[in-house]
Amino acid sequence: MPNGRALAIRAEHVTRDFGPVRALDALSLEIPKGIVFGFLGPNGAGKTTAIRVLLGLIDPSAGYAEVLGLDTRRDGSAIRTRCGALLEHPGLYERLSAYDNLDFYGRAWRIPRRDRQERIRELLVRFGLWERRDDPVGRWSRGMKQKLAVARAVLHRPDLVFLDEPTSGLDPVATAGLREDLAALAAQEGVTVFLTTHNLNEAERLCAQVGVIRSGKLLAVGSPEQLRARRDSGRVDILATGVTEEIVRQLASRVDVRAATVSGDHLAVSLSDGASVAPIVAWLVQHGVAIEEVRKVRATLEDAFLDLMGAEAEIAEGAGGTT
Amino acid sequence: MIHDIWTVVWKEWQEFRDQLLSLRRGGLSALILALILGVVAPVQLGAEWVESRLIIGYWPFLAATMVSSLIADSVAGERERHTLETLLASRLSDSAILIGKIIAAVLYGVGFAVANLVIGLIAVNVAHGENGLILFAPQRFIVTIVFTVLASLLMAGIGVFISLRASTVKQAQQAFGIAIIVLTMGPLLLFNALSYETRTSLILRVGRVGETRIEAYVVAGLFVLSAVVIGGALARFKRGKLVLD
Repeated sequence: MPNGRALAIRAEHVTRDFGPVRALDALSLEIPKGIVFGFLGPNGAGKTTAIRVLLGLIDPSAGYAEVLGLDTRRDGSAIRTRCGALLEHPGLYERLSAYDNLDFYGRAWRIPRRDRQERIRELLVRFGLWERRDDPVGRWSRGMKQKLAVARAVLHRPDLVFLDEPTSGLDPVATAGLREDLAALAAQEGVTVFLTTHNLNEAERLCAQVGVIRSGKLLAVGSPEQLRARRDSGRVDILATGVTEEIVRQLASRVDVRAATVSGDHLAVSLSDGASVAPIVAWLVQHGVAIEEVRKVRATLEDAFLDLMGAEAEIAEGAGGTT
Repeated sequence: MIHDIWTVVWKEWQEFRDQLLSLRRGGLSALILALILGVVAPVQLGAEWVESRLIIGYWPFLAATMVSSLIADSVAGERERHTLETLLASRLSDSAILIGKIIAAVLYGVGFAVANLVIGLIAVNVAHGENGLILFAPQRFIVTIVFTVLASLLMAGIGVFISLRASTVKQAQQAFGIAIIVLTMGPLLLFNALSYETRTSLILRVGRVGETRIEAYVVAGLFVLSAVVIGGALARFKRGKLVLD
């Protein structure tokens, strides 16, 4: 139970094979209740399979998973009752109106009529879709459909919502709008959100915790800051004049420097583990370099993600096998 | 369970309604069919329209045809339009989804047949009822309705079974068309393959059984076949498998 909080999801060595293909490989994960969790990975990494297993739609080949304290193998129906989901596709009935789409799922979750009407109105108003509620959904833009699908996923006030790439295929404006809506939803409704995405900017802005998956394996998990910190290990940008090729060569040969490159007035230094920038600045000054600015480079989640992907690929190549 | 089944029936009907109200999407053909079968045929045939023995097969055939026009879409359509996985991720049980879809199609077929029957009765009485009301014999009417419901149920069962295995609506419709041809033409071809003596002997034997007993056998046969096909479809409708299809 991380940080003493109750868990929404607990997975222990969950493996799922499809014939010879291993879609999930000993996935172990603990997600506390009430947070937005981002599950990051390239296409085919196993994100959708993980959601299917956690929703009890398919059984794991090995391992054990619990969602809201319920066993995914045994209690799939109870899990689905307490969860909402926006899967790979919006899954809307395009011949039905927006209202009828929500009404159907409201009935399916046995929301009493009056509550259902109020809730549908509340969500459609919140997502700016109320005026178009009677239109067949087939006439809507992709962004509007995605919003409606999110509204459907939270209609019955679930404890946990799975959102599989909710902003995929949306234009930047629609993406930003939906991201704001999701953040507000998580804050206002207090639900746990399990979000898969390969939009790292989105994950960085929205998620309290992220997990990185590739080829079914969980490579890293933690807050975006923790993941960035892995990549932040000593990258320094120095704006300076008087940097010669010889200085760069000598700098790169120092034990506290892993690499150094220069481009015009811009000197990029990668420090060795645990090294400090101050002795390097002093050394540069001693060698006649005029320093205007020293800036520690703050890695983005994308940098951390790409590092993880690269490291994993190297390991796979080193092992001489495919992942 | 019953609430969940009706929820699925409600949803299916919302989609049928859209189809029926739109002339281009099938509403026009349903209207033309209703006009021919509900008005033109009764007015032309007069009292024979209610007295003919053929009526026992006519209404079940009509209802089954209407069911067949929808049922191939039931699961394959959800799969093709990417709504199936979301439906399976809801709290609705496998059996509630499947039975709801079957009931919705049966209600549509039987409803269409009964509506035509009522319109036909009105038309035939308006055109030919000068000597008193023209009505069905009560027993024949009950048998016709029972046949209509069972034929629709069987058709829905076959359709949904095929739809479960098809990845697109087109594929489901093609397979369904072939199944219907085999089911209707198969017994006829088998019968014709028999020797002349055997055929004559069979006809004589059936003739001796009596109308009521034959009707009872047909009802029992339709019931058992429907139960087998729907049972098979229920056994196949497993979300863990459908999600991956």
